[in-house]
Amino acid sequence: MTSAAASERTLHWAEERTAFSRRLAEKWSLSLTVLALFLLVAPLFWVLGGVTDQAARVWSWHMLTQTTATGGLANAIVGTFVLLAGVLVVAGAIGVGCGVYIAEWAVPRRRLLLRGASEVLSGVPSIVIGYVAYVALVVGLRWGYSLVAAVLALSVLVIPYVAKSTEIAISQVPTSYREGAMALGMGEGHVLGRIVLRSALPGIVTGLTIALAISVGETAPLLYTMSFSNGYPDGHLTHTTMGYLTYVAYIFWDEPSSADQNLAHVAALVLVLLVVALILLGRLLVRLTQRHSEGAGG
Amino acid sequence: MVSTVIAEEQEVGGCRLLLDQIRPAIHAHLDDPVIETFGLTIGFGNEPVLSGVDLPVARHQITAIVGPSGSGKTTFLRSLNRMNDKLRGFRRSGRVELEGQDIYGAGVDPLVVRKRVGMVFQRPNPFPMSIRDNVLAGVKVHKMVPRAALADVAETRLAEVGLWPAVAGRLSDSPYRLSGGQQQLLCLARALAVAPDVLLLDEPTSSLDPVSTEAVEALLLRLAAKVSMVIVTHNLAQARRIADQVAFFCEGRLIEAGPTEAVFESPKRRETGKYLQGQFG
Ligand SMILES: Nc1ncnc2c1ncn2[C@@H]1O[C@H](COP(=O)(O)OP(=O)(O)O)[C@@H](O)[C@H]1O
Ligand SMILES: [Mg+2]
Repeated sequence: MTSAAASERTLHWAEERTAFSRRLAEKWSLSLTVLALFLLVAPLFWVLGGVTDQAARVWSWHMLTQTTATGGLANAIVGTFVLLAGVLVVAGAIGVGCGVYIAEWAVPRRRLLLRGASEVLSGVPSIVIGYVAYVALVVGLRWGYSLVAAVLALSVLVIPYVAKSTEIAISQVPTSYREGAMALGMGEGHVLGRIVLRSALPGIVTGLTIALAISVGETAPLLYTMSFSNGYPDGHLTHTTMGYLTYVAYIFWDEPSSADQNLAHVAALVLVLLVVALILLGRLLVRLTQRHSEGAGG
Repeated sequence: MVSTVIAEEQEVGGCRLLLDQIRPAIHAHLDDPVIETFGLTIGFGNEPVLSGVDLPVARHQITAIVGPSGSGKTTFLRSLNRMNDKLRGFRRSGRVELEGQDIYGAGVDPLVVRKRVGMVFQRPNPFPMSIRDNVLAGVKVHKMVPRAALADVAETRLAEVGLWPAVAGRLSDSPYRLSGGQQQLLCLARALAVAPDVLLLDEPTSSLDPVSTEAVEALLLRLAAKVSMVIVTHNLAQARRIADQVAFFCEGRLIEAGPTEAVFESPKRRETGKYLQGQFG
């Protein structure tokens, strides 16, 4: 009886102690979470605030209609969109194709090889890719500064991301979907196109969004492959230059004229807004493609 | 005397008898089976899974396959529409005849086999697309009807499985918002929509509640008039309720097969009787 009571007391004490240490652990983890959140969010607001503040001081509406020759950004904005469209087509097709190949068809050894190559490629600095594109395409193939060279350089940069996200998205498609499709008499192509890729679409869209967001912000490969001009895209694929936003933000900032410096500030804001818009659009598309997914709420 | 004791012991541990020496007990001859297997032997890698199964599947009837876990029921079922073909290490000998033609024969397109012999799985597996697109998935791929008729097909098939009243107003919704039982009915509608001659069902109600199970069973009984069915089930009461024929598998062998009544009431093999009385498995 007494020993039972004693052991109960010990138990009670032990429980209290674990409860105490659990509360302590909870406090710690909460403060660490808050700290992490702060470290993540503070720079974001700092950048957003700084960029917006600088741009607001010098903003004027005609910047959206004039070209960089006359104190506007219109050609640079159009040029950036043209580059994005090119990257979406080229990196989208090649990246998704590679991802599908790695996930579906490659034999294990080739899969490892391709994954490795893709990882190395994603680690190559963008300036190096720009330089190689310059030597191989601009000079080597005599394309001159050109839209194709620029799109290819940017695409090479982001294809690993698209391929990886495609591969992961496909590998996460449940076997039961494939088997259900097979049991209906669907051939491999139909199973892939109608069931597997459709199920993997949210993941693929996420990868493409990241690819575009990265492309929006790149300058180095474009300096080598596109140079810069005050003009609009002229419909030519080779031997052509045009304006784009990162160049304005990067180079104009250093120009002596204050009008150019002002443009740089506004270009920076437009770039940030563009990235935010891309991310929001990506989210929207993911939600849309996920509306019939297992576990999708609402 | 000694050998009897050993046999007794082995029997208690499962259905591990001196199986090499027995031939399956077949109760009655079936004329005109829709599918028939001859010496069907399957292994994965070096591991044998099925040995020498000879089983006819009755036309327009429900054939239940029962037996302990791991006895090869699923493997057998999947070999009837070549769903095992792509599995690692799959090896087969023997024949599976569908309407007298060997489905593993040269020049036979497995896609055509699978269109004619559909399958419903243990867990409902609707595709991540709208309810309507689920029903029509196979119909569209096989271009079975003109586009204008698709809506009708969807309604007919959903009505056929008794799901139409529940989903009529939300054909564009996600199938995952349906209950488990409704999802399984949807999968049945999807399988039926490509108009198969034979339907294979692998424990189709094992993840469902009793009410849904009853709905599925009632549907299968109605369907038997036009589709031949093979259903794997762990639920012996279910086999008794809905099956016309029962086949008992053990350790990769067919032990006994015949009309449900006969197999349940007067099994010819002792191990069948023991399994049906719930003594092992
Ligand atoms: N893909 C596979 N690869 C290797 N072994 C398998 C595979 N599928 C089934 N088996 C083996 O075959 C045996 C029978 O399995 P299964 O047909 O699923 O039995 P049941 O459906 O009667 O429970 C089991 O021992 C299982 O481990
Ligand atoms: Mg099974």
